[in-house]
Amino acid sequence: MDPVQHTGDAVLPDGTLAEPQAEDFRHAKAAPIDPYWYKHAVFYEVLVRAFYDHDGNGTGDLIGLTQKLDYLEWLGIDCLWLPPFYASPLRDGGYDISDFRSVLPEFGTVEDFVVLLDEAHKRGIRVITDLVMNHTSDQHPWFQESRRDRDGPYGDFYVWSDKDTGYADARIIFVDTETSNWTYDPMRGQFYWHRFFSHQPDLNYENPAVGEAMLDVLRFWLDLGIDGFRLDAVPYLFEEEGTNCENLPRTHEFIKRCRKVVDQAYPGRVLLAEANQWPADVVAYFGDPAVGGDECHMAFHFPLMPRIFMAVRRESRFPISEILAQTPPIPSGAQWGIFLRNHDELTLEMVTDEERDYMYQEYVSDPRMRANIGIRRRLAPLLDNDRNQLELFTALLLSLPGSPVLYYGDEIGMGDNIWLGDRDGVRTPMQWTPDRNAGFSTCDPGRLYLPVIMDSVYGYQAVNVEAQMRSPQSLLNWSRRMIHVRREHPAFGLGDFAELDSSNPSVLAYRRHYAGDQHTEKDLVICVNNMSRFPQPVELDLSEHAGHVPVELTGGVRFPPVGELPYLLTLPGHGFYWFQLVPPETGRDP
Amino acid sequence: MISAIDLVAEIAGALAAILPEQRWFAGKGRPIRALTPLRATELRRDEPRLIHAVIEVDQGGQPPDRYQVLLGVRSELPDNLGHAWVAACADHAVYQAVHDPELTAVLLELMAQGTDVDGLRFTTEPGVTLDPELRSRPVGAEQSNTSLVYGQTYILKLFRRLAAGPSPDLELHRALASVGCKHIATPLGSIEGEVSSTPVTFGMLTEYLRSTADGWAMATASVRDLLAQDLLTEGRVGPAEQVDPADAGGDFASEAQRLGHAVACVHADLATALGSIPAPDGYLDRLAGSMHRRLDRVLSRVPQLGAHAEALRDAFDAVRDLAGPVLLQRVHGDLHLGQVLRSVSGWVLIDFEGEPMAGLPGRSAPASPLRDVAGMLRSFDYAAHHLPLGEGEHDQHAVALAWVTRNQNAFCDGYAQVASDPRPQGILLRAFELDKAVYEVGYEDSNRPHWLPIPLAAIERLTTTRV
Repeated sequence: MDPVQHTGDAVLPDGTLAEPQAEDFRHAKAAPIDPYWYKHAVFYEVLVRAFYDHDGNGTGDLIGLTQKLDYLEWLGIDCLWLPPFYASPLRDGGYDISDFRSVLPEFGTVEDFVVLLDEAHKRGIRVITDLVMNHTSDQHPWFQESRRDRDGPYGDFYVWSDKDTGYADARIIFVDTETSNWTYDPMRGQFYWHRFFSHQPDLNYENPAVGEAMLDVLRFWLDLGIDGFRLDAVPYLFEEEGTNCENLPRTHEFIKRCRKVVDQAYPGRVLLAEANQWPADVVAYFGDPAVGGDECHMAFHFPLMPRIFMAVRRESRFPISEILAQTPPIPSGAQWGIFLRNHDELTLEMVTDEERDYMYQEYVSDPRMRANIGIRRRLAPLLDNDRNQLELFTALLLSLPGSPVLYYGDEIGMGDNIWLGDRDGVRTPMQWTPDRNAGFSTCDPGRLYLPVIMDSVYGYQAVNVEAQMRSPQSLLNWSRRMIHVRREHPAFGLGDFAELDSSNPSVLAYRRHYAGDQHTEKDLVICVNNMSRFPQPVELDLSEHAGHVPVELTGGVRFPPVGELPYLLTLPGHGFYWFQLVPPETGRDP
Repeated sequence: MISAIDLVAEIAGALAAILPEQRWFAGKGRPIRALTPLRATELRRDEPRLIHAVIEVDQGGQPPDRYQVLLGVRSELPDNLGHAWVAACADHAVYQAVHDPELTAVLLELMAQGTDVDGLRFTTEPGVTLDPELRSRPVGAEQSNTSLVYGQTYILKLFRRLAAGPSPDLELHRALASVGCKHIATPLGSIEGEVSSTPVTFGMLTEYLRSTADGWAMATASVRDLLAQDLLTEGRVGPAEQVDPADAGGDFASEAQRLGHAVACVHADLATALGSIPAPDGYLDRLAGSMHRRLDRVLSRVPQLGAHAEALRDAFDAVRDLAGPVLLQRVHGDLHLGQVLRSVSGWVLIDFEGEPMAGLPGRSAPASPLRDVAGMLRSFDYAAHHLPLGEGEHDQHAVALAWVTRNQNAFCDGYAQVASDPRPQGILLRAFELDKAVYEVGYEDSNRPHWLPIPLAAIERLTTTRV
């Protein structure tokens, strides 16, 4: 059997479609083994389309991204998260996958991806990507076969029914575009089930062959050397009559199977759950805490982000304190992913739960915060390009519990283009230089997939990597320094979290403490953040660390030692401090 | 070894000398005629010794005030306790034991064991097991009592000026805990006993709520933000539009609403636990009478109040003719933004000691819960005016008042989610607000004359707008 480039290029004698195999490609050299790398990594979400166009056709590509790895290494990034780059009709930003085993042609080839992996691994950078397990594009050959031949090998790959009345308790997620979770297919003469768009039929996990086929997809990319997957829309894999068809036990069982494959054959690779739910519910996707977690290694902490914005807006730590207090402990092998911005934005979908009305009440009652819902903005414009707030938000992102996920361009304070609509406004080309097309591409400007940002504040002539690399005080250099400080302190990634007592409602102070192990020294870090635009004093109860000397992390300045009395600090408006607490014996000057 | 009671008698002069420096001493500015130990109990005999004492301080008032003091005795006082020194006695240093974690640990141990020492009863609440290992530190900035925080887990409030009879604070905490109230710190233990054959509460141990902020700090942060917003917009081109507190980043309304909800829950729980009764015949007359008497007292000292006397008397008299039942129950009695803490799980009410000026019978008397509501509404008014208001293009007073109105209404909205809306009960509510404002006029006149305009302006407003 000759290798095929795309699923369905050939049909095997048993009627199944020939699919590309990992053996058909060169494999990337694996990243060094570090089973818990994801717990202390800094992630960077980058859209292949938006980062760098190496061949001048107006669209970023995998080779272009590979050429910019030196920049990402310099910045201190540990892992790239790429939204889907698979073959797709692009009716849902690439989340509508028409072939799990090939690359969208405009981005390049599977071979290009292997080169990216190899070059990234050489620089100590890992790469994960999205994998949509729940559904495919209706253009996927599996679905086309399923429509054509209900008795063939793919006849049972999707959820078909003669009626459109089943699973009536499952809500419709995209209420703006869809009226039912069932759509009639005239070719097959039946209805098919879809939790998202009608052009994204759900795979039928009742059929064991589907589970096997998806595990083979995982193996395909893992064999090539990928470091993990963000599993998209995981709560919806199985359906069951009389339930809301979300978070069903059998869905968890399947994720456990995926995890087993990873643990047994691909140790050190990670699974990240995309479950836009309240933390107390999301923890189920980490699996059994008794074994350190046996489902996903990571999950996004969705409610934290809007609460950071709310806390600074209200000049009150409570929106953050509350959500962290409500966040349950997670298994020892698990880690949250936290973010300020990403390509997915806040929806109220997850916060309308009866008892969780806080966000709803706070956001909907405030016209300015309401405007943030649904509309996708970048960090800098959301904060009125206020450098103090940009630094405070970034410091929070880098120090709160969880692995931070940066969104490409936010490290230079890129702007957005609200006239492009809410999806594309934050997906404009990365701004590298003040030259044509912001140095992103050499094509005719009119050929760019989206125009570069050109306004007077955020335009590429003012905001670009080249200029900021030259300016020691630029946001880019500041961000890089903070990322590097974070790297030197295992407490940020591995340490536990405890909010510190402070009577000032505008000051959020917390302790990150890592007890240490045979490889890593113990580490104790105190973070103090002023949510208010006005200077604030705070008295912290550090008495259990009496005798320790706080050493400020960016400059190494030693502060007065901690005594029995509350430790007094004053912070400028939107100011913050990171201190390492150095024990008394080493706290003295040499 | 000198006995505990002799030791206290021996150092009475030194105690009298340091009393006026203590925040909790209520008799500041009046000479101390005599200081007599009423009782002293040795809580620990080994070095360092711990002595629990009650002293009577005669400053001419009747009856004389009684205070609880805890004394440590060491042959040598370490430097870090130097600030707690009281006196030297028989080659030993006597010092205030609340600053010595080694000695305060004894109090927790005794409670954990459930011990009776010479009539001092250290107990835990039913079903509570304490960890006696935790070390304590005193909480700074307290007014009338001394609180010790043990390992960020418990807080022990030591009542300094002792009232005869059981403390309403302990009584109401117990009652609220018995009905599962979510808006208090759970009571865990107590120190009780007798002084001159009268029952007295010496201390109350409750759970320590970590990382709280009091309502006053929260509310004033919001006001500060709003007023700064107003100044920021002043320079802008175009007609000067008043800043709407609803649009301000630091808007407090949803917190105020949650606070109103919490206060109503506490009222409902108090009624469940301790009952409520319809006001007896003549109650409203007596209530109005007491408001008039307070007005009389303040009028005699603050002539500026005279302009409002007639309107105030009308408002108080209107209470006499109220139709419909008025329900009385146990209330907080001294509710304001400084008596509520925001924790990570919501609002908590503290210090159920009743109205500070009333004697114990008055502090425990059933009252209309509207009195607490009025206290909180007045507190919003104070919070909005605590910053000096600028004289800019905008009327900052109007901005501050808009904040008050918005947050008072939000508070009442939250209250109305649980109990009946206070606003339709305007005559009684307003009388309570005015009564409180009259009290504030008297207080500010004696203590902070530059704050006098706050209650005076409130009286002007409340007496010139319709209920």
